[in-house]
Amino acid sequence: MLNSLLARACAGGFCLLGLVDAACAKPIAFANGTTIMTEYGAGTMIEAQAFYAPTYWLSLGGGYLHLDSDRIDRTRDISSIRANYLVHRWNRQDAQANLFAWGGLGNATGNDFRGSKLDRDIGFQADYETRRIYTSLMSDLHESSAYSHRVDTLQLGFAPYAHDYDDLATWFVFQTRHYTGGVHRGAECTGLIRLFKGGAWVEAGLTTKGKPQVMAMFNF
Amino acid sequence: MRTFLFCTFALLALPNVGTAATIEMDVNGLVCAFCAQGITKALRAFPATSDVVVSLEKKIVVVATQDGQDIPDDDLKRALTNAGYDVKAIHRETETLDDVRARLKAKP
Repeated sequence: MLNSLLARACAGGFCLLGLVDAACAKPIAFANGTTIMTEYGAGTMIEAQAFYAPTYWLSLGGGYLHLDSDRIDRTRDISSIRANYLVHRWNRQDAQANLFAWGGLGNATGNDFRGSKLDRDIGFQADYETRRIYTSLMSDLHESSAYSHRVDTLQLGFAPYAHDYDDLATWFVFQTRHYTGGVHRGAECTGLIRLFKGGAWVEAGLTTKGKPQVMAMFNF
Repeated sequence: MRTFLFCTFALLALPNVGTAATIEMDVNGLVCAFCAQGITKALRAFPATSDVVVSLEKKIVVVATQDGQDIPDDDLKRALTNAGYDVKAIHRETETLDDVRARLKAKP
């Protein structure tokens, strides 16, 4: 029953989908702000998310996640609703650090189990950034009665110049991502170029195996 | 003589006609323009706001207000806090927002 209700809510567009956590961008924009993210992750993951933040420390929304194993013919599709919580933010004169946590429920289907399952999602993200350096660590766990898998993402970035508010920001980001639960073999390493200006953010890159990763995000 | 004094005072007052006050805030956490979009959105929501300038380099947010209007400090602090930032100081300046832009563009 709950599965069915969740599936209907997502299908109805209540949660315009949420891929994975769009590459460590912040899951909460600002009070009364909306964030839309979508990511194509090297053939292993496709994700879309949409969140609305009634306050700067909470956002609500949902998303869609598709996982495609490189090991065997295993796919998973998860539609879920999710709440993101800013546990703490450290604002310093030249830096900002954040700790986010989230939890959600969804409807999952896959080709290695029958029917649909209730998906439980829990995760966290810790990040630290200055105008020239960016680091983040994110872990996202999905569990159901049929599976348990986690996606861990570490990003290290540097900016060739310190952008200002109205400038185009450019970042070079190294990302390593590890999947558990038989989704992907070993760690996936990706080099990314990240560009953003105003409320628009785009990043693209290639894994060491030459697979593309693309992400776009909009705050408004 | 009276006419001369009146004209003199009127001329001295002329530069202030039509100029708006600016409120400058020192803000901690200003490192990313993408994340700071909420600042301008929150400050532009005040009816008294005419324009907003954010400088990551100087770590300041400057609000220009409509003629004769002001925004209380508590409201400004609340707006910046809700955008996720910490206000360290608020001071009111006589320079226009164009002056502020010119100052920010000038090399140190």
